[in-house]
Amino acid sequence: MAAPMLNQPNSLLANMFAAGLLDDQFQELQMLQEGSAPDFIVKVVTLFCEDGERIIGEIAKLLDKPCVDYDKVGGFVRQLKGSSASIGALRVKNSCIQFHQCCQEKSKDGCVNSLDSVRNDFYDLCSMFKLHASAGPAGAGLPKQ
Amino acid sequence: MASSLKALLVEDIKVDSMVLSFMLRRFHCEVTLAKNGKEAVDMFLEGNKFDIVLCDKDMPIMTGPEAVIKIRAMGATDVKIVGVSADDNAMEAFMSAGADDFVPKPMRLEVLGPMIEEVINRKNN
Repeated sequence: MAAPMLNQPNSLLANMFAAGLLDDQFQELQMLQEGSAPDFIVKVVTLFCEDGERIIGEIAKLLDKPCVDYDKVGGFVRQLKGSSASIGALRVKNSCIQFHQCCQEKSKDGCVNSLDSVRNDFYDLCSMFKLHASAGPAGAGLPKQ
Repeated sequence: MASSLKALLVEDIKVDSMVLSFMLRRFHCEVTLAKNGKEAVDMFLEGNKFDIVLCDKDMPIMTGPEAVIKIRAMGATDVKIVGVSADDNAMEAFMSAGADDFVPKPMRLEVLGPMIEEVINRKNN
């Protein structure tokens, strides 16, 4: 049985690290996966992408309201920041930190711009993960959609 | 390292919960999940016993430190409670609430391992 893609040297993954999309926490997950749970990273990445999409949608709805509840927005940003940190999604995490600052400043423009940054970084990352998955047997470690 | 520790994981963020659960199970812990501080407190009120609690700080309904205060007030003084958070102010909040330890997120295996071992040794002694 071929080893899961994520445990093999992979130029796309290496590029993701080099581009600052991922940090060493992702390597921690790779170590966790070794041996007993070959589908662990698939499950975590799938959950991250699905839950992240939901969170971004909720934030967008909140920012669309004439009177923005910055505490609620901040709560959702906290969730995305937390999950980003847990899987090593460095760029998304950093965008969330900036976003959180705008929530604390109650800056509508800042929050809207931050949402764009977070959304772009998030979808860049999830797209790269999907690219891995679509790379045939070598991409068997990640979700396909 | 063999362990039959009962771990309570108090975490509202699904991804964090999945990763931390997996880490705990890697150390052969039996993991129970609570999505917020109130669920954690209710677990203790229902008579459940745990060897270790990993608790996030900011959660809906009841925060981690609030839950720690209530758990200790119930007389659960033996259980090791570890606050786990990315919040800069979390350590002080957890320690003053009665937690035994604090670990900044994200948790690492090399940090969790010695904690588990310490609890096992304490339990065996």
